[in-house]
Amino acid sequence: MRISAHDARWGALLAAPTVLGLLALNVYPFVQTLALSFSRTQAFGRSTFAGLENYARMFASTEFWRATWNTVYFCLLTVPAGVLLALLTAVLLNQGVRGRAAFRAAYFLPMVVPPAAVALLWKWMFNARYGVINALLGTSVGWVTDPALVLISCALVAVWSAVGYDAVLLLAGLQAIPATYYEAAALDGASAAQRFFRITLPMVSPTLFFVVILRAMASLKVYDLIYMIVEQSNPALPYAQSLMYLFYREAFIAGDKGYGSAIAVWTVLLIGVLTLFQFSAQGRWVHYDS
Amino acid sequence: MGMIKRAACALLALALCAGLSGCATDGGAGQRLTFQIWDNTQKAAMEAICAAYTRAHPDVTIDVQVTSWSEYWTKLEAAATGGTLPDVFWMHTDEMLRYADGGILADLTDLYDDAGYYEAHFSQGLLDNARGSDGRIYGVPKDRDTICLVYSRELFDAAGVSYPDESWTWHDLTSASQAIYDATGKYGYLAYNDEHLGYWSYVYQAGGYILTPDGKHAGYTQPATKKAIAFYVSLQDEPWCPPQTFFAETEPATAFFSGEAAMYFEGSWGLRSKLEDYPSMVGKWDVAVLPACPDPLSGDGRAVISNGLTYATAANGKNLEAAKDFLRFLGSEEAQRIQGEQGAAIPAYEGLQDTWLSVFDSFDYRINAEACLSMFAYSVQSPNNAARPAWKTRVSDEMLRVYAGETTLDAALESMQRTVDELSNR
Repeated sequence: MRISAHDARWGALLAAPTVLGLLALNVYPFVQTLALSFSRTQAFGRSTFAGLENYARMFASTEFWRATWNTVYFCLLTVPAGVLLALLTAVLLNQGVRGRAAFRAAYFLPMVVPPAAVALLWKWMFNARYGVINALLGTSVGWVTDPALVLISCALVAVWSAVGYDAVLLLAGLQAIPATYYEAAALDGASAAQRFFRITLPMVSPTLFFVVILRAMASLKVYDLIYMIVEQSNPALPYAQSLMYLFYREAFIAGDKGYGSAIAVWTVLLIGVLTLFQFSAQGRWVHYDS
Repeated sequence: MGMIKRAACALLALALCAGLSGCATDGGAGQRLTFQIWDNTQKAAMEAICAAYTRAHPDVTIDVQVTSWSEYWTKLEAAATGGTLPDVFWMHTDEMLRYADGGILADLTDLYDDAGYYEAHFSQGLLDNARGSDGRIYGVPKDRDTICLVYSRELFDAAGVSYPDESWTWHDLTSASQAIYDATGKYGYLAYNDEHLGYWSYVYQAGGYILTPDGKHAGYTQPATKKAIAFYVSLQDEPWCPPQTFFAETEPATAFFSGEAAMYFEGSWGLRSKLEDYPSMVGKWDVAVLPACPDPLSGDGRAVISNGLTYATAANGKNLEAAKDFLRFLGSEEAQRIQGEQGAAIPAYEGLQDTWLSVFDSFDYRINAEACLSMFAYSVQSPNNAARPAWKTRVSDEMLRVYAGETTLDAALESMQRTVDELSNR
């Protein structure tokens, strides 16, 4: 089919707002960040070219490598567990349970609450002395001050707030599976487990892939949640500081925009490589059925 | 249908016109100024000052805007970079040199026709806070502050320990803490990782320093500095002092005013709001001067970190002349008196310090706020140089590592010395 010149013009016109928005709000700032990462910056937007100085300093910094590990660790903590829980929730919601709409709304609710409010509430629940979690368990665990626990606590909150949203996405995928497949499988005597692994999982895999990519990117960019829960006076900060948190502190608190930009570029590369890897691996498990 | 649509369009157009013309008359006839501050508890006082100014200048309206301390500098820097700074705003000594030397602030040296105005009404130390590296004045002195020892009369009474006074040294601080802990099980003195409200005053009491007066070199490895920081950090190991993980979740003031602890350091700027925020605690606490170093390596063991804010305006501000006129008023005796009488802060204007005391008379129990003023006799200017924002976080992180036991104090001080020296001479 050939697209007429008239249609092409309309197409370009309709896409223009998005394209212009992307150029102005994403592409241009990224190019600027890239340029800044090779600069020695002073206050108020002035900068001089500094070559690889920022990168050299970054790769030599233990704080930076720790933040990179923290970020990857946070991703490992939240993505598999979060997506698995979301899938489980979606499958349960897809059954003929009574009040399904109410359940769906309840699971989606954490997504509607502002992240800052979520983090603040959990911070109080985690409080070692006055928090409700320790009160219920009868313990005095430093949920957000113990270096070994702090990221796990943050991951818990991240999973809690994302499960509902992911489940709703997956539920849409599940509902697109024709009922005839299940009927045929039932006639052939397939068990529930067989039906799940042979029909549900392959059929929902494109949605699942989308959710995994989305969740992985979000977790590698995590900032607000950890910033709200782990204050800068917290001795466990080095064990919780994500790359974006480090970026914020370097660029906006210490005022070194050049070094901060280098951290941002590194994070983009990290996300890019992981996403590419996921796309190349999708052939092994994602089924695009027409 | 067509009629209704057309009528709706006309109505909408009319509404838009009205909105536009409304703005036009506002901006045309009168002068609007924006005034940015970070402390919500001082908003009423700042508005009272604005009201006094606008009474004499009815064509001017001033809009006081509060942005919390944690976001203030991020926002201000973005505004400075984009050329959209508020007309008048508070400056802190930590950031003064960066902004003044960066050419952001308007030179206010000749703000007053009387060339000797600043010297006649503000102390030399406060004027130094207001200067850029070129020696010109970029801010009108606003206030000055000290730090005092807040103590719980209730817990001292319960343990039968006499209240802190001028004679107190570090030894008294620790022995009282121990006695109160033994008698009541409550915490004694709250020693938490903080410079200004923490170990800085101890350092100067012991005869050490954080920065040389020219701001070029750090003093972390000086024996007296080491002695003071070692003492401060060691308090953490006492049973009567909560660990740093406690402070990560609970503000020292929150712990104190919920009756969990007997003593902590508070800035003079925080006293009035504590009386207002914790009405049921009024009468149960009081303030005293800081305890002195019993065996300083030099000096008499007395010191307290003092700081002062300034009012500033942008060099390229659109309303520069109007802003300057308002700044002239902000530095006047009248405006500084309002600031003091409203209990916002201790006025920078010489001779008006006592006006700040009157606000404390309005509470059922009159705290000894005079202690804060008496310490000006030996106050030390808060250490500062242009690289301060850059080394502040590094030093704080290094101290956290000391508290977490990841590094020794000696190694940390060496590292802090290197970092601050390097950043200060870039």
